[in-house]
Amino acid sequence: MSRPHQYISLVTSFPHLGKLFTRKEVPISQFRLKQRLSMLEDEHARLLRELVEITAWAGVAKYDEDVEVIARAKQVMEDLRDYPDLQHLVGTRMETRTLIAALRRRHAGQETAGDIAAWGYGRWCGRIKSNWSDPAFGLGHFMSWIAEAHRLMRAGDHIALERLTLTEVFRQLDHYGALHEFDFEAVAIYVLRWVIVERWSRYGEEAARTRLQALVSAALRGNETPEPIAGGSDFLSDRTPSLEGAS
Amino acid sequence: MNEFVVALGWFGLYAPVALGAIGSAWGCALGGSAAIGAMLDSDGGYGRFIGVSLMPSSQVIYGIVIMFSLQQSSVDAANGAALFGIGVLSGFTMMITGIRQGEVLASAIHASKAKPEIFGISLAPAAVLEGFSVFALVFALVLAGSIPS
Repeated sequence: MSRPHQYISLVTSFPHLGKLFTRKEVPISQFRLKQRLSMLEDEHARLLRELVEITAWAGVAKYDEDVEVIARAKQVMEDLRDYPDLQHLVGTRMETRTLIAALRRRHAGQETAGDIAAWGYGRWCGRIKSNWSDPAFGLGHFMSWIAEAHRLMRAGDHIALERLTLTEVFRQLDHYGALHEFDFEAVAIYVLRWVIVERWSRYGEEAARTRLQALVSAALRGNETPEPIAGGSDFLSDRTPSLEGAS
Repeated sequence: MNEFVVALGWFGLYAPVALGAIGSAWGCALGGSAAIGAMLDSDGGYGRFIGVSLMPSSQVIYGIVIMFSLQQSSVDAANGAALFGIGVLSGFTMMITGIRQGEVLASAIHASKAKPEIFGISLAPAAVLEGFSVFALVFALVLAGSIPS
């Protein structure tokens, strides 16, 4: 298939994902999605794998250090040099992660940003460092979600925090998605959206599994009633590296 | 010089068909690709997807009509320039509208798959482009009548 027609067929074969948080399950399974993506050329398939690896949390979880994630992100951006919008998307995502990481570090009691170059990425590192005590790191006038994330983190409302960050990431994807309809970027943005929707759909499943395990344990122990689930507190737990936060 | 004008005349005579065919082929390929992709994600309504994807085929038909209206008993220095002007410009119109119609049809198919209720209204831009092709056809026919034979 020639390239423009290839992307038209591929993009129109994807089901509509709808708005975030409105679906309980993904409209296309991973198996089917991979099957459709086999229409991609080898080079584009490789770039897409790299893009998903660096933007999805599951992809960066294998790195022990934040520096490794940052180095990998820079390498992926270099590989995406022919697709500036995807480069911006990766950059924006890394910046979002940096902001979440900063919020988490501050929430954990860190008094200064420290060596932010070792764990942060992007345009806002200097601003974060110099406005460490400000709830929104001095960025609240054009990124109002940071102050809201700070409030939710302090309140321990991890589900709302996750919703907020995913909404912000989805908004970034919508912004770049509006610029592309039938090209590689459109396919990549669809897949990134799918990853978020799929991740959110799994949260419910995981929470249900945890709840079931708690009920089974309680039953085995006797009639003790298990603690109610406090909004899936593991979602953004401190056990995760600081760059975690936005799928 | 006369031979050159005659050559241009023949060029203009066939241009609406050739350029119209390019536009139709390109447009149908764009719309058809979208229809094929949409069929992978639909359980029915395949006919309407394929049906609308064939909309750009009208441009080559208009091109054929223009060619017949431009046809003269002989192409010479007196009518060569007129044939060239009307034929090439109307041919380009058919080509561009055919390609662009294919693009908007692909978008319409994609959008109506997610929201089936907009299927009809999503074809409006393609219909407008069809209207522009018809304008080019009608006025080519009008002008063809005033070419000196």
